[in-house]
Amino acid sequence: VFSRLLIANRGEIAVRVIRACRELAIETIAVYSEADRDALHVRVADRAVPIGAPPAGESYLVIPRVIQAALETGAEAVHPGYGFLSENPGFAQACAEAGLIFVGPPADVIARMGSKIEARRLMQAHGVPVVPGEAPDDQSDESLLRAAEQVGYPVLVKPSAGGGGIGMRIVREVDEAAAALHGARREAAAAFGDPTLYVERLVERPRHVEIQVLADHHGHVVHLFERECSLQRRHQKVIEESPSPALTPALRGRMGEAAVAAARAAGYRNAGTIEFLVEGSGDAARFYFLEMNTRLQVEHPVTEAVTGVDLVHAQLRIAAGEPLAWTQASLAQRGHSIECRVYAEDPAHDFLPQAGPLLLYHEPRAPGVRVDSGVTEGGEIPVHYDALLAKVIVHADTRDGAIARAVAALRGFPILGIRTNVSFLLAVLAHPAFARGGIDTRFLDRETPGIVAGMLEAPLPEEVFAAAAAEFERGLKTSAAGSRGATSVSPTIRPADGDQHALDPWDVSGPWIGAS
Amino acid sequence: MTDSRLRALTGTVEREVTVGADGAFTIAGEAFQADPIGPGAWRVTCRGRSRVVHVARDGDEEAYWVHVDGRVHRVEITRAGVRPRRKTSGREHALAAPMPATVLSVIAEIGQAVNAGDTLLMLEAMKMELPVRAPRAGVVTAVHCREGELVQPGVVLIDIT
Repeated sequence: VFSRLLIANRGEIAVRVIRACRELAIETIAVYSEADRDALHVRVADRAVPIGAPPAGESYLVIPRVIQAALETGAEAVHPGYGFLSENPGFAQACAEAGLIFVGPPADVIARMGSKIEARRLMQAHGVPVVPGEAPDDQSDESLLRAAEQVGYPVLVKPSAGGGGIGMRIVREVDEAAAALHGARREAAAAFGDPTLYVERLVERPRHVEIQVLADHHGHVVHLFERECSLQRRHQKVIEESPSPALTPALRGRMGEAAVAAARAAGYRNAGTIEFLVEGSGDAARFYFLEMNTRLQVEHPVTEAVTGVDLVHAQLRIAAGEPLAWTQASLAQRGHSIECRVYAEDPAHDFLPQAGPLLLYHEPRAPGVRVDSGVTEGGEIPVHYDALLAKVIVHADTRDGAIARAVAALRGFPILGIRTNVSFLLAVLAHPAFARGGIDTRFLDRETPGIVAGMLEAPLPEEVFAAAAAEFERGLKTSAAGSRGATSVSPTIRPADGDQHALDPWDVSGPWIGAS
Repeated sequence: MTDSRLRALTGTVEREVTVGADGAFTIAGEAFQADPIGPGAWRVTCRGRSRVVHVARDGDEEAYWVHVDGRVHRVEITRAGVRPRRKTSGREHALAAPMPATVLSVIAEIGQAVNAGDTLLMLEAMKMELPVRAPRAGVVTAVHCREGELVQPGVVLIDIT
């Protein structure tokens, strides 16, 4: 493949890419901001290059610095991860101009799929279903109101650029439309520098189901089935799974074919994801193209679990010009996989993100459990980046088995020092609607207050007080002996005591490929 | 060890803990046995049932983060008879960003009457959307930020009188 690759990212995804490279004997170059000097991705890479101040806009998002780091270290290729520069066509272009292989699609494909209106037109032209809607060239209020009339209320007003729900407005009646247009236009202009809007029919109670695709440079395109991503809170995915409990085999087949058609229409290369909205149920359910993500997704491990394909290996091999190792017929889904995103946030206080020290952090280890994370005990969660601490991915024969495995893994994942959403994840996994698999994208926005209230009402086990008192007493004894600091909880240095918490060699290993 | 008593306090629950010998504790008449099974890890047994509990002391305070079965609690411990230092919740600046954040949208308008709990602004920090809500009813008299702006913690973003 390549002999040396730079990872233009941080956190769990940087660590995940570095591990994939190690398996392929590719030397890895990490980049880091001043806030990430001691971060795990810096420690596990063969070499690490500082690229600036803590705010991402002064480090991870500065294209010339990333390119310079790659050139100075002799990297042949750059993996962008997700977020940051991963969907920035300017970055892909800058890589190409510097003679670096960008592990992803060409810049013009990123740009084309980054415009929602352009992507929508392209899909329509190639027979991929889109939500009925209008994208008028004339962006005046009158023209957009006419478009809304044509589509029929209720409608969704969306900005052409950006994502994450910013600038989106649900409009149920014509009276609300003008105010919604003004608000959406203002937000779109402020957030993305592009006030262009379009209008879609509002799909009520939609599900968000996406299809993973792989496309090589030799004209081959395959899909790797779906990921069910309807469990979202404020447009942030919380739990994803594959297969989707909502898809019948016939619907899955049609969506897979549509995704391959969409990737071909886009001239796509490398790993990508086609997001669809699904309306209704059974074979008669309808699906609509939503957007294409031209990068690796956070939730890619559930696809890896059920298909057995390592998507990062696939990305690297495709980028190196190798043909796909699979045909569509050779791919199948086996068993059921669920990913739970562990965020540093406080469910009891409006999910306020948390920064601070990880005083104690033990990842669960069990059959069928994978944890992707970019943090270690004793580390500090900085305020500058996203609040994703770890992803707990489970795989089992059945959906019920996977749920049980996820519950056991999360219950055995102590994280102390900052608040996390683990108890919230457990409450969602225990929710009867989740067990039935009947979740739409607005489920969590409706149910979260009740779920959180239930969590806060749950009785406190008295063992909590006994253990805190025991730790207090132990501290007194050791401080009397004059060595309190060494035996009370000292996060950075602890002995490997059997399997209670053996040190992970990844946590302590330095470069071993012999970085120059 | 001679018997002594501790006061254990979470945000909502207070318990008196009687300390016995060799990891024995009595809480509300119930006997608990706590045995260390590793740094920060305890096996706590009550009525023949055991649970693994993880504990980490929070800095210099006599406060402990405690994990059991996927839930985390923060417990303050003091000697019985000593009043624990009550910390302020740190949420009195409800109309400021809690950390460096980007203003996603300004929902409230100057002159608008708002009720307690109304969302006034949406911020984004650590890639999460954070609503800023009115702590009480009132009228919006000033907005000190605009959409897309990066705001620092502690700076008041909006005035309500």
